[in-house]
Amino acid sequence: MTDILKPKGGAIVVGVEDARPSGKTSAPEQPKPKRWGMLVDQRRCIGCHSCTIACKSENNVPLGYWRSWVKGLQTGNFPDAGNLYLRRLCNHCDVAPCVQVRPGQARVRREEDGGGVMYYGKCIGCGMCISACPYDARFFNPIRHTADKCDFCAARIDQGLKPACVEACVSRALVFGDLDDPRSEISIELASIGASVIKPELGTKPKVFYVQADHRLMGRIQFSNDFDRQILEYDKYIPSPKASYWKKGR
Amino acid sequence: MEAAVLYNVPHEVPWKVFIPLYFYFTGLSAGSFILSTLSTVFRIKLFKPMALPAAIISFVLLLLAPACLILDLHQPLRFWHTLVPEYFNRTSALSFGSWLLTAYPIANLIYIYFIFVKSDNVTRVLGAITVPLAIFVHAYTGFAFALVRARAWWHSALMPGYFLTSALLSGIALLVVVAMIMDALRKEKLDSQLFKSLRLMMIGILLTDLFWNASFWLTLLVSTADGYASIMLAFHEKLYTIGELLLGMLVPLVLLILPWTKDNKVWLCAASLLIIGGVFLMRYSVVFIGFDVPLS
Repeated sequence: MTDILKPKGGAIVVGVEDARPSGKTSAPEQPKPKRWGMLVDQRRCIGCHSCTIACKSENNVPLGYWRSWVKGLQTGNFPDAGNLYLRRLCNHCDVAPCVQVRPGQARVRREEDGGGVMYYGKCIGCGMCISACPYDARFFNPIRHTADKCDFCAARIDQGLKPACVEACVSRALVFGDLDDPRSEISIELASIGASVIKPELGTKPKVFYVQADHRLMGRIQFSNDFDRQILEYDKYIPSPKASYWKKGR
Repeated sequence: MEAAVLYNVPHEVPWKVFIPLYFYFTGLSAGSFILSTLSTVFRIKLFKPMALPAAIISFVLLLLAPACLILDLHQPLRFWHTLVPEYFNRTSALSFGSWLLTAYPIANLIYIYFIFVKSDNVTRVLGAITVPLAIFVHAYTGFAFALVRARAWWHSALMPGYFLTSALLSGIALLVVVAMIMDALRKEKLDSQLFKSLRLMMIGILLTDLFWNASFWLTLLVSTADGYASIMLAFHEKLYTIGELLLGMLVPLVLLILPWTKDNKVWLCAASLLIIGGVFLMRYSVVFIGFDVPLS
């Protein structure tokens, strides 16, 4: 990669010189590298889907596609019933399976903050990263015709703002911050409460942590008494059973 | 039902039918090329008449294969990104594959030229260089799947071997059909020994493929929930059970072994055609059953 194409100073600039003003007298000081992470506190989540909507409007995600969403699960029988929610988004893995398989240089981990970003101008649209994502967080953007995913609102982070979903959360269930900074809110929370990640057995080292996320929501198919029926009739348990968009590839 | 899904977002399958077609064409090409080198590199006189047709078929299929791959891209005009050395990703099977897929047709074309001018020694050296390319150009597709840890149906060390043996199988089956057409059109008849050895090779590789399949079933049935789910889905997929296993493997195997069908050329041709179809269904089921298990 040539120096021109590298992101400079945290801004996503492709093929353009850094637009931010830099001091002419002294060399611009290197900002301390950050490791952005997110903590999703499922104890506080009320399942309002504000983060989903905020994400869609912030990033202009086409209809029928989601960069992040809230998975909902209904458990038990009346009167012992419950609703469980799990915020799903790109897990920004340190050892990212999508980066491992990509043939071009579109999907990269930014060195200065460890966040996974897409360079859409380089994506060839082969779909390998979409197949390789263990969290099903990636999709083909039908307008841009490239792979697309959550990038922690990289454009907002570069301006010093928080991601749109964190700003929109009504119950402060989403905590965003620098994992390397011991005084950041997320580091303090992570140090004091037990948090888990999705599919830790794959060794992807995700940077999205969950507090009290139910194991039934964690994306793995669960062994249960009616496992075979659950698997073979899975499409009955998604919101619109007749929806065929998720099998369009065939 | 312990828990019902209220709301979830399954993303659509990113690949279309071009991807299994691409695997199928590279497989056929690699298989035919290896058959072609049996006489030129390994000096088996029996396969001498097949050397040139097999090499030409392998080259023509190699033109179709990248076309399928590029048709499936959502940004087809950016396909050259995979061939820029600066963009090379050494952990990606696809990066290696795109270079192999460029080098192999060129080597193949030079090889065909030297068979055509009948210079045996040069052909031998060139064939010996191109055989590893032919093997890797197909094995990489197996690795592209085997290296995806997210999907239990693909993440298996058997995958490259399975891809290679089915490539060889489809190549031989195609060559049998081509040999029959040549036999009917040409004046000098082909040696019946040729068909016999092709038949024995097909039986051997069919048995190997069935062994791979049995290994997949056994390991997946006692695997994680994802693995168990994929094998249950595969058993309920008619394209896999009836198409690939019954019509693509067991029926041809029976036709090739039974004493009253094995020496009949019509049955041999029928078995070969079934195998050619069955190997395509194998590619299809490998690719798309992998997507059936929900990951979100």
